[in-house]
Amino acid sequence: MMNRTTRIAVIGRRYQSTVVAKNGNGNGKPRQSRSAPTIIESKQPEEPSLGESAHFKHTSEEALATPGIKFSDGHGLKGPTGRGRQTRRMNLYQAIRDALGTALATNPKAFVFGEDVQTGVFRCTTGLVDEFGTQKRVFNTPLTEQGIAGFGIGLASVGACAIAEIQFGDYIFPAFDQLVNEAAKQRYASGGAYPLPGGSLTIRAPIGSVGHGGLYHSQSPEGYFLGAAGLKVVIPRSPIQAKGLLLAAIRDPNPVLVFEPKILLVVEEVPVDDYTLPLGHAETVKEGSDLTVVSYGTPLHTSLRAIDLICNPPPQLVSFLPNALKPPNPAPSIQLIDLRTISPMPIIELVESVKKTGRMVIVHEAGKSGSVGNDIAGEVGRRAFEYLEAPIGLVSGWDTPVPLTFEKFYQPDVIRVFDKLVETLSY
Amino acid sequence: MRVDEKLTLLLQITGPPPNVPPKHHTTTTSTPLPTPTPLPIFPTADEKGRPLYVSGSQAERMARAGRMSSPLRRGTHESWWSSEMGWFNAVAKTIPTYRVLDEEGHLVRGSQTPEISQDEALAMYRTMTLIPIVDNVLYQSQRQGRISFYMQCAGEEAAIVGSSAAMLAGDEMFGQYRESAALIHRGFTLDSLMAQCFGNVEDKGTKGRMMPVHYSAPELGFHTITSPLATQMPQAAGAAYALKLDEERQGDCVICYFGDGAASEGDFHAALGMNSVLGGPCIWFCRNNGFAISTPIIDQYAGDGIASRGPAYGLDTIRVDGNDALAVLSAVREARRRAVEGKKGVLVEAMTYRVGHHSTSDDSSMYRPIEEVKEWSVVDNPIHRFRAFLASKKWWSEEDEKKLLAKNKSDVMRAFGRAEKLPKPKLGEMFNDVWGVGKGEEVPGVIMEQRAELGRLLKKYGDVWEPWRRERKRFVEEGEDVMDCDGRGS
Repeated sequence: MMNRTTRIAVIGRRYQSTVVAKNGNGNGKPRQSRSAPTIIESKQPEEPSLGESAHFKHTSEEALATPGIKFSDGHGLKGPTGRGRQTRRMNLYQAIRDALGTALATNPKAFVFGEDVQTGVFRCTTGLVDEFGTQKRVFNTPLTEQGIAGFGIGLASVGACAIAEIQFGDYIFPAFDQLVNEAAKQRYASGGAYPLPGGSLTIRAPIGSVGHGGLYHSQSPEGYFLGAAGLKVVIPRSPIQAKGLLLAAIRDPNPVLVFEPKILLVVEEVPVDDYTLPLGHAETVKEGSDLTVVSYGTPLHTSLRAIDLICNPPPQLVSFLPNALKPPNPAPSIQLIDLRTISPMPIIELVESVKKTGRMVIVHEAGKSGSVGNDIAGEVGRRAFEYLEAPIGLVSGWDTPVPLTFEKFYQPDVIRVFDKLVETLSY
Repeated sequence: MRVDEKLTLLLQITGPPPNVPPKHHTTTTSTPLPTPTPLPIFPTADEKGRPLYVSGSQAERMARAGRMSSPLRRGTHESWWSSEMGWFNAVAKTIPTYRVLDEEGHLVRGSQTPEISQDEALAMYRTMTLIPIVDNVLYQSQRQGRISFYMQCAGEEAAIVGSSAAMLAGDEMFGQYRESAALIHRGFTLDSLMAQCFGNVEDKGTKGRMMPVHYSAPELGFHTITSPLATQMPQAAGAAYALKLDEERQGDCVICYFGDGAASEGDFHAALGMNSVLGGPCIWFCRNNGFAISTPIIDQYAGDGIASRGPAYGLDTIRVDGNDALAVLSAVREARRRAVEGKKGVLVEAMTYRVGHHSTSDDSSMYRPIEEVKEWSVVDNPIHRFRAFLASKKWWSEEDEKKLLAKNKSDVMRAFGRAEKLPKPKLGEMFNDVWGVGKGEEVPGVIMEQRAELGRLLKKYGDVWEPWRRERKRFVEEGEDVMDCDGRGS
């Protein structure tokens, strides 16, 4: 690990070399229309893309050390052969496809279905039909989300393992009635009799914005399901998490919504064997003692980058840090927690962390009103009031629809999180 | 009434008074129920001894209508008793497809050419040839990352333009998302279209908020396109009902476009059900183009297409060759006449083929052979068919074709170049129109606080944080418009 000063120096060097390369290339004036908006050449290094986040596991050892990982064959990290477990590089959709394939192979009563699953819009289901289609367990449905959800409840009712896909989280609302009034309440209403033993329902849907989805391809609808006790809501942050949490969701007897962030370019080493990660538990991604940051899905990586900017501030941001946070003073110690399960919320784990750090910032992409963040802030505020040294911060999308052209200023981006972290730390 | 009589009555109605201990706590057997009065014997024969119910034709049944019992005359439709166990899965054995022109553009034997003037025909042809160029340019520009998304209407030009040409200026139009040609035919300018696709400062319809092709043009009666499917359908039923009751809008009509996939949504059934019961002039125009993204119609429905569902809701229904502009024009004209005169819904199913990919996010070669697509665009090309008709009327020549294509191309390129150079709207547009604000009212605090928070952050980091510095340059006023206030958010 290099210290802060060398890091800045390295960044400086990188910048210089880019400029040299660009100048060397120039033969004449840049062609630019007069009325075109002027884009001034970048003077700073590019912000790292999501895929470059330091958090992702790039070696088998790191991947296998994932906390809470439980291999379904019961042999632990050494595997049935005693020679260890294998991992393979996978992006998020490959990891999901791997989990679906595992679920279909291990349970003859498992079904994967939804709109266009035979081809797969995000390719999470591509090829599954060739492997399992002859048994009619992977199939296209007519285009009806309420139908898909209700169909899945019916399958589960008689003991099947239904894994349904809603093509975009934005299109889950026709299924809202089936999910909230039927799936969530079925066990309670039937005195625990339904679904019949072995029956389970999992609904997968991609959520979140990627910068060009606009109103109907960017929403984060998890907040709408907070009040639906009986449903579980899970949001993984990475390929390893996606596979483990999805398999756990599929094997959970409760109806589980798995909302997948659209971070398809991120690649990790993912264990190839059948494993699960625990539902209902948050995970501490980074330990710390001065501030608790809670996030889930894509914004978790944004938060990680913002923490990095505070601990290793680039020259242009140093002036925004109060003296106590500036080098050469030691960098603050910030704990980052991945919530993972939105409902039922692992609130006690968050409260324990805040009791230790005294400060909390929540980061998510959904708007503020009726959000997961407000729920957490309310609970933590009630339970850890006397431990808090600053108001609980919430960085979220604005309470507007997700606007296409403005998405970069809508998303809770790195600098907004940075600002809130500094504000909370220096309160 | 004597007091004890009253008491007995009261006991019969409400049970014993509260001070009397309940009997079932003390008695081991429950009180026997009173013997019910026997039901009257249902007559099975008339007074002359003839059986009351016999099978027979509907005519015979009508003759006996006075003696029918009620269950067979529910609602507006009637049935008759039958001793045969007669199952069925279709109302008509086959639903024919109406066409005027054959694949080569010749009039089909026995067909009647709809009344169409040279000007009308040429206007349709202009739109039909303009849209492929628009599509091509915008599709390619998405591929180069200059716009974020696009959807073409390749292959469906006749269905979309033919139906639009049959509508009048005061009509309301609810699109799904592949109807830009209908909008252009109603007078939407290329500049407006490009402005929406680029989300630039001239995008009056959606102010840069919506993805490309989500047009909105109230001045043309074109309701905002949203991505969820079939949601426009119950809305169209509501609009049609409003037209039915609005004395000033008698004679206006609604047209609602939807696809074979959207017809599987619950909203489709809700819409047709409500429209059939409540009435209101509405043309339900189904573009049956064979695919819902990658799902072929064989995975979408097992009945006889969408047209077979019209009679289920009591709607006048027709299936039409969607690649035959003349057939679509005359069918929708007649549909419009029926809808307006009867103040009711009419269903038109246009059979066509989606030659292009679903959208720029789709690669249709993954699920259908390219040969199939080629065959459709060569053997049954809606533009070629209509052009052959124009030529047979001596309304069109090679020379005209060359001139038109050149003009179309230059028009499109000019509008494209212009739209691309325009900046994005004011950044503050992100926060406008979330709630409507009446005169003398203020924008809700939740929005103003968040706008002010962004303003504060932009003032602080707008020049030093590179991703923001670069991004804000794309907007008119470079975000200065939200920097008029300072806020900490809520």
